[in-house]
Amino acid sequence: MILALVLFAVWSGWRVFVVDSMVRASFSLLASFVAVGGAGVLMSASYIGVATVFMMAVEMMVMAIFMVAFMMNPAGLNPMSMVHQNRLSMAAGALAFLGLSAAVLTADLPDRPVPPETRVVFDLGLELLGPSMLIFETAGVTLLATMVGAVVLSSQQGRFGSADEGSRPPGLTENGEPAGRVPDESGGHHMHHGGHGDHGGDVDGASDHGQGHDHGGHHHGHAAKGDPS
Amino acid sequence: MILLLALALVVTLLGGVLVGGWLDRVVAGRGAGPLRAAAALAVRGSVRTEAPDDLLQRLAPILYLALAAVGLSVVPFAPGAALVESPVGIVIWGSCEALTIIAVFLHGWSPNAPFPLIGAYRYVAIALPVMLPSMFVLIAAALPAESLSLSAIVESQRDIWNVVRQPLGLPLFVMVGLTLTLRGPMDYADAADMAGGTSAEEGGGARLAWEIARLAMLVSVSAVAAAVFLGGPLGPVLPGPVWLWFKTAAVMALIVLAGTSVTRTTPSRMLGLIWTIVLPLSFLHLGIAGVLAL
Amino acid sequence: MTLTIVLLGASALIGIGLYGALSQQSFVMLMMGLELMLNGALLAIMGFWSQGIGGPPEAQLLAIIVMAVMAVEMAIGFALVVAVYRKRQADVTESLGTLKG
Repeated sequence: MILALVLFAVWSGWRVFVVDSMVRASFSLLASFVAVGGAGVLMSASYIGVATVFMMAVEMMVMAIFMVAFMMNPAGLNPMSMVHQNRLSMAAGALAFLGLSAAVLTADLPDRPVPPETRVVFDLGLELLGPSMLIFETAGVTLLATMVGAVVLSSQQGRFGSADEGSRPPGLTENGEPAGRVPDESGGHHMHHGGHGDHGGDVDGASDHGQGHDHGGHHHGHAAKGDPS
Repeated sequence: MILLLALALVVTLLGGVLVGGWLDRVVAGRGAGPLRAAAALAVRGSVRTEAPDDLLQRLAPILYLALAAVGLSVVPFAPGAALVESPVGIVIWGSCEALTIIAVFLHGWSPNAPFPLIGAYRYVAIALPVMLPSMFVLIAAALPAESLSLSAIVESQRDIWNVVRQPLGLPLFVMVGLTLTLRGPMDYADAADMAGGTSAEEGGGARLAWEIARLAMLVSVSAVAAAVFLGGPLGPVLPGPVWLWFKTAAVMALIVLAGTSVTRTTPSRMLGLIWTIVLPLSFLHLGIAGVLAL
Repeated sequence: MTLTIVLLGASALIGIGLYGALSQQSFVMLMMGLELMLNGALLAIMGFWSQGIGGPPEAQLLAIIVMAVMAVEMAIGFALVVAVYRKRQADVTESLGTLKG
């Protein structure tokens, strides 16, 4: 039973990096966590196991939303692969697995299972609010600091103005032309007039306006370079 | 014994789904009877959207129904006799609550259509913060029992029910129930203002399965509420399961009634309500319960 | 025997997670790799706790710490991704050569 759960955890963990759909990837990871939680319950760590499932369900829901927000092609309708240094990573992963497995197989593992009559959850509760209270409270304070930090990092309105003020994508080369989309700036309209001459003869205001907007933020001379079309 | 309890669980779910369908008809005052409505849905053809995520689409109602069953399995049918007699019963129920959000999200995500997707996003935004009051309410109920086991919580209500001892608990939990069963003021997933939300593109057998899973979750959440706040199977003369069924049916009626009599507000206003009023209220509830349990 | 199975599974999870953390370009996928490694660590801790050392209550604290670490990693990770995206419009590691504001 534990073997099946562990195998399922590994299989779904592997699926995370194979499937195209980001939602499927997130929930594969969740399936892996649920299997690990189930294995924990079978190994009489009932509170830790079930709490893992509970916590990870909420966490992976948030993860799925971020995945959809930040990935191109989140539904995986087109196959895609966004990896770098693939060979090296594979080697590192395999090496980690083989090394740890060798350590597991060669080591003389202790064999002292939990006595069946132990009141695991009861003892854990006494431990949490007794001798180990400092550890428990430290975790609590860390989480509080995390909350404050996350809000500070992600809030749009900071003490010194808007967080994306002067936002500029990194260059493709050192100090080079910015990559990716360029944020809308009020300068876009200004550029629009500058770019008008380049498009000479194009009097369709609507389409020209849109293109001029795309050029906003680029140098005059390089307007054509940054044109996504 | 285990077989008997498993049988009781199946009977409770099936009977509860029927009762739930009937309650929906009585309270809403329209529509056909549950069986006829189910038959009508079953013979209707299904809809297929463009490039749906078939696996997740099939998984969503199955997951929803399975979570209802797992949630019900920790509820004791007689004092000390639940199918899954776990020392962490209410944490298992909490996991079912959290995974329900995922089932609903998958249901809205998989058809690859705008209304279901918007419904799913709205629902996740509302349902995730609702988990917090839910946890506080359940922990408050665990305090007098000094245990996370649902059987122990039932046992702690021999003298006085939690609904009297912790008066805020049941109303807050009804709100959680409305969220989990996609009803009334908390129905941001399948609401009529979204043309059916996550179910907008669904018909036939798939829709039927989803509606059955919704009603099964109504049974499950009501049974948990009955065990946590109304003493579950405790009661004079009649055997335990009968008391549990009566109390479950009463909570189901309460949830259905609350679902039809309270109107729904905009998601942003509801979000503000949850974070600024409901959440502090549940803190207060937990604090009072803690002081009383000392 | 159980402990061997569990530890082998844990090392496989850590290996896959390491592969993901190193190979993925997207920040969010990278974090999935980290989570998977922590998942392996959690499995190994629970295995040792229940099969190796006779289940002392204080050892479960380690598992709770790992869970807290996962929560911190998620929250701060996503906040950083949002902040970096606002500032640089970057959502893959390549487009971020320096962390200077």
